[in-house]
Amino acid sequence: MNDCNNVITLSSRDQMVRRLLSLLGRGVLFCITSVAALSVLAIIYFIAKDAFPFFQQVGLKEFFLAKSWYPTGEPAKFGAAAIFMGSFLITAAAVTISVPPGVFAAFCMSDILPFNVRQILKPVIEMLAAIPSVAYGFFALVVLAPLLQNHGGAVLAAVWWSLALPLLLMGSYVAGDLLTPERLSRTAALILSSLGTLVFAALSLWLLRSVGALLHGLEIASGVNALNASIILGVMALPTIVSVSEDALQAAGRELREGSYALGATRAETLVKVVLPASISGIFSAVLLGTMRALGETMVVWMASGNAAQIPDPWYNLLEPVRTLTATIAGDMGEADQMTGSAHYHVLFAMGLSLLIFSFSCNLIGEWIVNRQRKRLRGE
Amino acid sequence: MLLVSFLFFVLTPIVVRGIGAYVFKGTVEYRRMMFDQFGRGDEEKLKLEIAASVAYRKPVYDAISAFEKELAEMPRARRKELKPIFKSVREEVAGLLGPAPGQPLPALTRRLYGQTRWNRAKVRRERVLFEESWDYSDKNSDGKKVLIPRRPIFEGTALVPLFDCVEYNLLQMMNPHTTFYGRFLTDKSIDAHFFGGIGPEVLGTIYLALGAMLIAVPLGVVAAIYFQEYAREGFVMTFLRSCVNTLAGVPSIVFGLFGLAFFINTIKVSNGKSVLAGALTLALLVLPTVIRASEEAISAVPRTYKEGALALGAGQWRTILTVILPAALPGILTGVVISMGRAAGETAPIIFTAAVSVGKMVGPLSMWSNPTPALSWNLYNICTEHEAVEEIRHVQYGMALTLVALVLALNLTAILIRARVSRRLKG
Repeated sequence: MNDCNNVITLSSRDQMVRRLLSLLGRGVLFCITSVAALSVLAIIYFIAKDAFPFFQQVGLKEFFLAKSWYPTGEPAKFGAAAIFMGSFLITAAAVTISVPPGVFAAFCMSDILPFNVRQILKPVIEMLAAIPSVAYGFFALVVLAPLLQNHGGAVLAAVWWSLALPLLLMGSYVAGDLLTPERLSRTAALILSSLGTLVFAALSLWLLRSVGALLHGLEIASGVNALNASIILGVMALPTIVSVSEDALQAAGRELREGSYALGATRAETLVKVVLPASISGIFSAVLLGTMRALGETMVVWMASGNAAQIPDPWYNLLEPVRTLTATIAGDMGEADQMTGSAHYHVLFAMGLSLLIFSFSCNLIGEWIVNRQRKRLRGE
Repeated sequence: MLLVSFLFFVLTPIVVRGIGAYVFKGTVEYRRMMFDQFGRGDEEKLKLEIAASVAYRKPVYDAISAFEKELAEMPRARRKELKPIFKSVREEVAGLLGPAPGQPLPALTRRLYGQTRWNRAKVRRERVLFEESWDYSDKNSDGKKVLIPRRPIFEGTALVPLFDCVEYNLLQMMNPHTTFYGRFLTDKSIDAHFFGGIGPEVLGTIYLALGAMLIAVPLGVVAAIYFQEYAREGFVMTFLRSCVNTLAGVPSIVFGLFGLAFFINTIKVSNGKSVLAGALTLALLVLPTVIRASEEAISAVPRTYKEGALALGAGQWRTILTVILPAALPGILTGVVISMGRAAGETAPIIFTAAVSVGKMVGPLSMWSNPTPALSWNLYNICTEHEAVEEIRHVQYGMALTLVALVLALNLTAILIRARVSRRLKG
């Protein structure tokens, strides 16, 4: 009896010891967690610390506005405008290439394809995401670059057709369906919507053909250029975009869709007018994440973009070689004096800092949008 | 469909040509090299084989020496015309068949042997038979490559039998067999990847990935437990959480910069690049993935488990250690395996912290303070900075295949574990 008592009601001293121990344990756990979480602050601090001397020595104006990049010249010039431009150009092109098919694929996976197919596609997407970037870079350099150089126009036209044909056909079906006025008898609505679909399909086929022919006529002087890097970066950003926007579409919920069907909306109407607005913020954050992935990628752009610190002429010309921030950091650190810290060494940290700031702002914007949308969906 | 075709499009060339590094048609030169450098193969058989190929090669060398004599007696203008072409023919023959008998042995290992692979030997044969030249007659496009046959140039001289012999008897001279070179995976490379395998790179990648996981897993799992079991919602937790999220968005090259600035230049974990610095950097990189996967696994453990344990009188510690962690283990393992694949494949963080292009095998004891070659970095290195990129294509493809196979195998393991777990949860 006594024993039992001892177990259940501890003496006050034992209790104190226990509490202290558990507090101590919690403290240790908290410390470890903080170390893990706060390492990002250490990253910011150390990158900024090594970037600061550069801004002191050279100044912001030359860094952001001047175009001549001769870090080892006499006198050295650190105008990174062309490099910023290269990063921007490649990222923008990659996102343009990957967003339409990515969002389309997400729609297919969440609303159109049967469950079994989805089960197969998920691992495929994961595998696409898992392939190391240097393997993508190797592919870009050894397979895609000669292909672009020798049969550039044909390859581009083939890519365009295979990407745009399903997109445009689907789009014309949806457009035909959406433009049909409501309150018609079923047969009339069917006829009208198929007519609309046909008209849009004809239009989009014309678009396909003319752009395809335009691309077919292109001749590419060197396969190692901004376009090559953008295509590969687009493929690399695709898994992120697909999986995040698919999550967003799923999160829109079954009730919303069923409510829409109950009100007599067609599938296309439900997708475009109900599901899309409800998940647009998630899709947007998917695009932001894809952008961050493309911007922060190093090996592919280093191997496939040509690494020429120049602004293409005209500025959107993807067929010329460009140079990006990440590739410059990776390529120049070998030459820069790492021990004593020359201006060349510090300028690379300044570039790293710019990358960091950009990815942070992307993160913040993404979080802000998702939060706002969440509030709106809750009906506040 | 699109996604599948992308995956197919990227993987096919890597897989198909990557297998070529392991299985290929090896010539007699390959077997000679393997015997000299690695001591593999049957000496008696090899001697017979070399003797047979020497017999077939004799007319080639006879033609060369006969032509040399002829050249000395030629009129001056003709000699001036033919001599440089003859010189390049002789060089190409040496590249194809190895150094000529009686000549002094070259210093570079790569020159000691002829072409070891049959497909390269056929390429080299073209270079003996034809002269490359560029046609600039069309002003509108870049120059076109044209091949000029060399045989007509030497018509009527003693060199003609050489061309016939090289064209028709190459098979007997080289005697190619289908060879399986499984030790490509573990052999050291000889003379900057001209011969041998990718052993040091594979080993370095394994060290880096394992080291990174050794550091990241305890940190990440503890953080996940804290977030899930202890943390009360509040400003501090929100802040820590968004810190982890931000860490996930940091570009990989910035991790490399940080590793250089902090681990190597500030706290000096080693003198210059080292596996330890690389592993620490990679650990930071995969930390958010590990934390997230572990958090998900822990939160997927049914509440009833925890309540049951607490009701039986177990303390919080004991509940976590004996009930929650074992139940969450497969999920945590999935995250760990995926992160390991990521750590093995990353290049940018290890450029400044761990990787060197040419390196010996690093032993497990000295590895923490020494730099190492790694698959990812060396793949970049040998396909951009190598002096003979074309000649070692097979090594590049082999390396790419090995890396991709390693990473995908890890990912497949993760997918399988997850499928089993979800089946078990369904019951």
